[in-house]
Amino acid sequence: MSEHPNDYIKPELMACCGAREIRDGDVVVVGTGFPTMSANVAKYTHAPRAVMMQESGVYDARPRRPALSVGDACLNPGAAMIGGLVDIMGMFLQGGWIDVGFLSGSQVDRFGNINTTCIGPYDQPKSRLPGSGGANPIGSLAKRVLIIAQHDPRRLPARVDFMTTPGYIDGAGAREKWNLPAGTGPHTIITNKAVLRFDPETKEAYLASFHPGCTVDEIRSLTGWDLKVADDVHETEPPRADELRVMREILDPHRMIKIYEAKGYV
Amino acid sequence: MSKVMTMKDAVAAHVHDGDFVYIGGYICRTPFSAVHEIIRQRKSGLTITRGNAADDFDMMIGAGVVKRFISTFISLGLYGLARCYRRSLEKGVPHRIEVEEYTNLSLPMMLMAGAMGMPFVPVRDLLGTDLMNVRGFLGENKYRLIESPFDGKPVLLVPALNPDVGIIHVQQADENGNAQIWGIGGDCKYGANASKKVIVSCERIVSREVIGKDPSRTIVPDFKVVAVVEEPFASHPGYTPGFYDLDMGFGYLYKEASGTVEGFQAFLREWVYDIPDRTAYIQHFIDRFGYARFKGLQARFDYGYPVSYEY
Repeated sequence: MSEHPNDYIKPELMACCGAREIRDGDVVVVGTGFPTMSANVAKYTHAPRAVMMQESGVYDARPRRPALSVGDACLNPGAAMIGGLVDIMGMFLQGGWIDVGFLSGSQVDRFGNINTTCIGPYDQPKSRLPGSGGANPIGSLAKRVLIIAQHDPRRLPARVDFMTTPGYIDGAGAREKWNLPAGTGPHTIITNKAVLRFDPETKEAYLASFHPGCTVDEIRSLTGWDLKVADDVHETEPPRADELRVMREILDPHRMIKIYEAKGYV
Repeated sequence: MSKVMTMKDAVAAHVHDGDFVYIGGYICRTPFSAVHEIIRQRKSGLTITRGNAADDFDMMIGAGVVKRFISTFISLGLYGLARCYRRSLEKGVPHRIEVEEYTNLSLPMMLMAGAMGMPFVPVRDLLGTDLMNVRGFLGENKYRLIESPFDGKPVLLVPALNPDVGIIHVQQADENGNAQIWGIGGDCKYGANASKKVIVSCERIVSREVIGKDPSRTIVPDFKVVAVVEEPFASHPGYTPGFYDLDMGFGYLYKEASGTVEGFQAFLREWVYDIPDRTAYIQHFIDRFGYARFKGLQARFDYGYPVSYEY
């Protein structure tokens, strides 16, 4: 097996991009799917002391099957601690202990604001979405927020229809104005085409790396704002053999991650 | 004094039209038996709440028993958007419910405040987002933004919630209502304790002596409880740790059925209106899908390490 096998699918690459943002010892709030996959890949490779929790109330779960929701039955036996929403979202997240949170949404804008509430006007929605759930507090309070998104102009608009979850709101200084804790906010947007990061001055997302097979021009045309490009823009490192092995042999032997291909992450 | 009764009697006596009802569960320990009974008795004008709502709330909205929903989130999980909820807000079918939206931090904290007798609670979410710009039936009282009296910085206050009745499903309770859970809690401890009275359904009724063997598991004390209903399999298609697993197949059935008004009404007839109680529900499940599938949902058993409280 070569260092970078070429038989990977795009969702596997995205899961690796997420994993590489996790540092050893991080405390991570995860949802299902990508977040759990990313956090576990990190744990099995470079970040063995990273720990995970689910907002429903579980810390350090040891599921014997992939969890299908953050309330899944398989999260119960073997966990180190089980409480409830006030414990995880209040005591740990609002308490300032969460290093990394994963979020996704129907729309993500240039400041990393996320919409999971509605498409169209709030009072007469064209499409009514689930709402915040844990997203708003995670976006408000986690130190590094990693955002998963599909890369097209509709899903990455200049401005979300409804701001459910704060990124950098309307730019530099806005989080400070609202008294969101210092050192929190969006860190990276991981799409099926690219990795975007945030300009420390303007707080606007820019293109940091493009996935193999994608071009800078294509990515810029698929983004709903005038996407700036990093001076050192480069190709995203493809999944390494050790990362793929963890996903395929340990975490997801049935390759449920393929459902993300059907959802458009290609 | 025993508070043991049937779900029919508990809901008839303690859930009234127009009530504000907390309904616990997080897929884990969803009190589905009570939800079905509320629909069957055609309650109306209810205000319902909990963090992270799912198929049970969608079903009540579709059945028309809900007027208002204090919400953080509602979906069918793996099966996507909540169909009845969407029809209500997008098309006004069966009617447009009123929604007041918070998050999985602020709403549980509001229930905690209610349980603690606090008038309101400061939270560090919602700030700067459109969730501050939309106000529903609570109007000005959805939240207040003040300058902290301590450091002058912006701080958001949200009101305490005190539902008229809280409904939870637990693993075990005694006849007076001391209720014990294990596994994922969601907001049920604070939701139940914030409520003016509590209906408890349980997988099994145990003696007061059994409760006393591990009293740290009790989340609601008997003096708050008005009804205890022994109702095995009451969370289905949700799960109860140590008793039975999530029924993903049934979740798919609900998703398909709730996709249309006709399908949803047929689902209600088959699984709610034409079913008198939970025992009949279980029998119908076995008739429809076979005993093997019912048995297949049963949890494995693994003893915990015995604890001792002795001195």
